[in-house]
Amino acid sequence: MNTIWIIARKESAQMLRSQRGMLWLLAFSGLLSAFSLLLVSTTELSLLDNAQVVYMMAGTVLAAGALLAVILGSDTYAGEKERATLVPLLCAPVAPDALLAGKAVGMLAAWGVMFAVATPYLWAVGASGQNLGAALFYLALFGTPVVLGFGYLAMALSARTGSVLASLLSTVTLLMLAASPLVIGPGLRGTAVGRILDAINPFAGALNTFDSVIIDSDPFSAQTSRLILVTVWLVLCLLAARRSAAHPNFQ
Amino acid sequence: MKIWKTLFPVILSAFLLVSVSAAAQAPVALDLQPGGKNPTSPVMGDHLQFWSTITNTGGTPIEGLVAWISLVEIDPGNEQPVDLEDWSAHKAVTGASLKPGETLRTDWPMRLIKGGDYRVVVSVTDRGGRQVYTSPTIQFHVRQKPVLQAGRVLPVAAAIPLLFIGLMIFNNTRRRHGNGRL
Amino acid sequence: MINIENLRLPIEGKEILKGIDLHLRPGDTYGLLGPNGAGKSTTIFALLGLRAFGSGRISVLGGNPADDAVFIRRSVGVMPEKAGFYDWMIAPDYLKWYGGLYDFAPTKQDVAKMLEKVGLGAEAHRPIGTYSRGMKQRLAVARALISRPKLLILDEPTNGLDPKGRREIHDLLVEFASDGKAGVLLCTHLLDDVDRLCNRIGIIDNGRTRLEGSLGDLLAEQGGGQRYRLRLESAPDTTNLPAGVAIAGREGGWWYVQVQAAPSGGPSTLWHELWRRDWKILEIRSEASSLEELYMSHTGQDRPHAQEAVL
Repeated sequence: MNTIWIIARKESAQMLRSQRGMLWLLAFSGLLSAFSLLLVSTTELSLLDNAQVVYMMAGTVLAAGALLAVILGSDTYAGEKERATLVPLLCAPVAPDALLAGKAVGMLAAWGVMFAVATPYLWAVGASGQNLGAALFYLALFGTPVVLGFGYLAMALSARTGSVLASLLSTVTLLMLAASPLVIGPGLRGTAVGRILDAINPFAGALNTFDSVIIDSDPFSAQTSRLILVTVWLVLCLLAARRSAAHPNFQ
Repeated sequence: MKIWKTLFPVILSAFLLVSVSAAAQAPVALDLQPGGKNPTSPVMGDHLQFWSTITNTGGTPIEGLVAWISLVEIDPGNEQPVDLEDWSAHKAVTGASLKPGETLRTDWPMRLIKGGDYRVVVSVTDRGGRQVYTSPTIQFHVRQKPVLQAGRVLPVAAAIPLLFIGLMIFNNTRRRHGNGRL
Repeated sequence: MINIENLRLPIEGKEILKGIDLHLRPGDTYGLLGPNGAGKSTTIFALLGLRAFGSGRISVLGGNPADDAVFIRRSVGVMPEKAGFYDWMIAPDYLKWYGGLYDFAPTKQDVAKMLEKVGLGAEAHRPIGTYSRGMKQRLAVARALISRPKLLILDEPTNGLDPKGRREIHDLLVEFASDGKAGVLLCTHLLDDVDRLCNRIGIIDNGRTRLEGSLGDLLAEQGGGQRYRLRLESAPDTTNLPAGVAIAGREGGWWYVQVQAAPSGGPSTLWHELWRRDWKILEIRSEASSLEELYMSHTGQDRPHAQEAVL
């Protein structure tokens, strides 16, 4: 447990202290600021009710969180290999599972920071409307397994391929595929294929939950099938990561 | 000469009387109705439709007809004309001609931007005339709904990126002084 | 401390190690020699459990790397060939952090002392990203030593260092091995380092151990020592030679001498001694050392050009 915490602390510090981490957080807050300003300055968007806006912002935070997880995950093993810091880490008495867990906790901390940054934005756009508290709760409950799942998947590819570029391209493509049905629109999503994709897509599962809870005010019991979906997603990605991390590509 | 001095005011008065009478008969007839599909209890963001008919009831053609729609907010204490900039892209009909007895029907679509009580009216004039004719008014209420409050959003949208910029400058300064601590 | 017998290790279906033998006892400084691609680094990774081996036996500090990798690594300090660090950290924080991975929390004093020892005391406040290559090499040595290991494994530790830097690393290794209980495995292709530091060597080539044993014994079998050729002003007195020096022949105005063991003050002490015994030396050239001959004969490479020194 101690080594997990030691590694996680370093990962978190790297996120918050390094120039790269700060730039990411600045870009993220810039994105949310631009979105918020667009909402108040555009007539069409300013007529959206609070619930709708909170739903859109929660979806944006989830997408950004998943993207960050994919970027961090791709760097975990392959980036360290490219910077020649992986071998010293592997030569230390750290079990593969502990190394993976430490990096995952670091990633979780990064998601936590993003969630903390997003909270004032969600409050600003949603405080006068409905279900802000529920929005925050479900963003944490569903967003965390989706984000962490993508992170684990990226770590699995990072460990296996030893290339940041290969891992990043693959996982970003997968993330875009997961988000694409939402871009297509309700017409196509209403078809049989669209419904099947929705049923297995963890990203869609989380967004549909936000819709259900924030806009339609549905209870927790209506979300259980989607909670199972995102949990299964997380477990599968974790297993893939453990398998790859047991023998990472380090040379 | 004396006769002309006596007769002139009489002739002038008669002429004026005829003119006024002619004007008082209003050569256009205006009507304004709400669209059949309008929601019974509209809320902010809804679309409403009105339609008007303008009929030339006079004996001469009307050239250069201009008809426009106006909206007035009538909330107590908040009475004011409304700028239709965001409410409607179709605010006027211009340059139309109406033969005697001819009717012009115009649709007036509108997006409800703000909550409150309103009255809508259509006004008409023509190139040669000096009168403005108005339709009957229609009064309606737009329900409020919770939307974004700019007063909350703007401080957050500005402050948080500035906070990160400040942190970056602070980190850079620490790094320059050699303090990359874990 | 390390016992490897007939180790075979495939990677992606290709056999990289085809029969490695290595025996390192407590107190040994073992030089593992071999050309690039011979399998030195792969052998190290197998010792640490980072590469699964196909067949053979490995025992490191009493454990099998296949089953006890984490246990073994707790007592091993490693300096890999490529010394990577987190550039945003400063050296003291990095060493403290890395030491923590060994369940050993070095104190501020431990870290400061270690940095002084490797010559980085004055640079402690600077981010590691600003260090030169040589400084990073020294920090890598500090990283290997910070956990007070029983076994130290170094892969090309003096790569990229100037002679002063190399000497400093040598002194550190000598000090580490001086208690006679710790073991040092030094992988290198620099014969000078092996000559200076090691008491046992293993030569591997193409994934196989070609030669292994005590350096002294192997050199003695070879003929031992260092060979020089000298040009003299006049014929010398060959009956009055210092101890450990033998005439190895004469050819075309050159006298060949074999020096069994380098004197503590370096070869210049020897030349002064010979001069004192009326050897009027005009020119000195060193021939390939016995260790070099040993290496060359077991790795199948061309002989390098002889080094030259002119008085």
